[in-house]
Amino acid sequence: MVVGGLAGALGAMLGIGGGIVLVPALVLGFGLPLEEAVPASLMCVVANSCAAAAGYVDNHLSDIRLGLTLELATVLGAIAGGLVAALIAPAMVAVVFGLFTLYVALQMMLLRSPRGEPATLDDYQPTNYPLGISGSFVAGGLSALLGVGGGPLKVPLMSYGMRVPFKVASATSNLMIGVTGAASVAAYALRGHLKLALVSPLVVGVLAGAYAGSRLMPKVPTAVLKKLFALVLLSVAGQMLWKGGAGLWPSVWE
Amino acid sequence: MAERVGVSEGDPDGAEPPRVSAAMMADPAALGSNTMVATPAQQAEAPELEAEPVTAGLAEAPSQGVTRVRDRTLAGDRWIARVLRVGAVLSGGMFVLSLGLEALPGTESTHVAIDQLRKAAASLLLVTPVARLGVAGTLLGLRGEWRYAVIAAGVLGLLALAVGAGIQA
Repeated sequence: MVVGGLAGALGAMLGIGGGIVLVPALVLGFGLPLEEAVPASLMCVVANSCAAAAGYVDNHLSDIRLGLTLELATVLGAIAGGLVAALIAPAMVAVVFGLFTLYVALQMMLLRSPRGEPATLDDYQPTNYPLGISGSFVAGGLSALLGVGGGPLKVPLMSYGMRVPFKVASATSNLMIGVTGAASVAAYALRGHLKLALVSPLVVGVLAGAYAGSRLMPKVPTAVLKKLFALVLLSVAGQMLWKGGAGLWPSVWE
Repeated sequence: MAERVGVSEGDPDGAEPPRVSAAMMADPAALGSNTMVATPAQQAEAPELEAEPVTAGLAEAPSQGVTRVRDRTLAGDRWIARVLRVGAVLSGGMFVLSLGLEALPGTESTHVAIDQLRKAAASLLLVTPVARLGVAGTLLGLRGEWRYAVIAAGVLGLLALAVGAGIQA
């Protein structure tokens, strides 16, 4: 429940769902097999999305129209990723994605954005929709190929690529990940991989953490959120490079 | 106090959205049905970000037509938030109840109740974001924003296809 609470708070504040915390915690901390940890983590992503997005939509932090548009591209990408999964080496994709994530993380940590955030959340207009849609398509494909959530890719995409304020990008990502997460969990549940006894305490913790995180996020300075996000991206990059490395050069990793 | 007004509509085509001019503010009929105008009252509701200088302004006070459009948008957002909150609270409550029942002596009926509660809670949680998508699409359709209603229907259709075909979306 405590791990769920931490994952929920972090996921709600950054728009990443919390799987990045939960999967390693469940596998390494509790010794659960990956095939049980992943659906449980996805269920928590759905819980996180519902609890956090309710507050964000109420506060007009989530851009519903932008979310719907990018959601369509993400689902299309996920279906495409699922279809081509047999043709592409996931290890190579993981290495490329890991390097890209590392680049974005370092850029967020080291460079100061010249662009100021708008004064209020009504003072912005998303730009560069072609980039946002194609990026979301890629994020959906990567999600299906590598099992990573779309949040770590979509938040920087919206924030830097589409000039959406960081907090709006994070809140909109929170709104979006619930739908794709629910579809993924449904697929696992149909195959009997969802363990409800494991999920119950995690979801309770995540719901509490997500509620707290969604109350906290509007008050936290954007610069702090960006640094936190960069740290999460570094962790994603590490996991992806590890996964890719283990797949490409198994002898080195043994 | 002069305020800058912004339009919060997204346009997937990348087209410049309608900007609200002083003339449009004077004549509410000139506003499209999709146009949402940020008024001083609304800006008070939206959380402040790290402040940047705000451009000096266009509008003084909202007209009746503008207020109606804004109220409809806010009511729509509240409905979406309500769907999400009800789903999260109810399923969370059922999960908590199932954990509480685990503390009771383990009879057959208790185990059955725990199992049923958890299945119901998980199903409710999974249906909530999908219901949110349906509500958002319906509300936007009712507001005349057919493009987004079609997008929402498309997402729902694709998800159904993905789950049906066993593809992990």
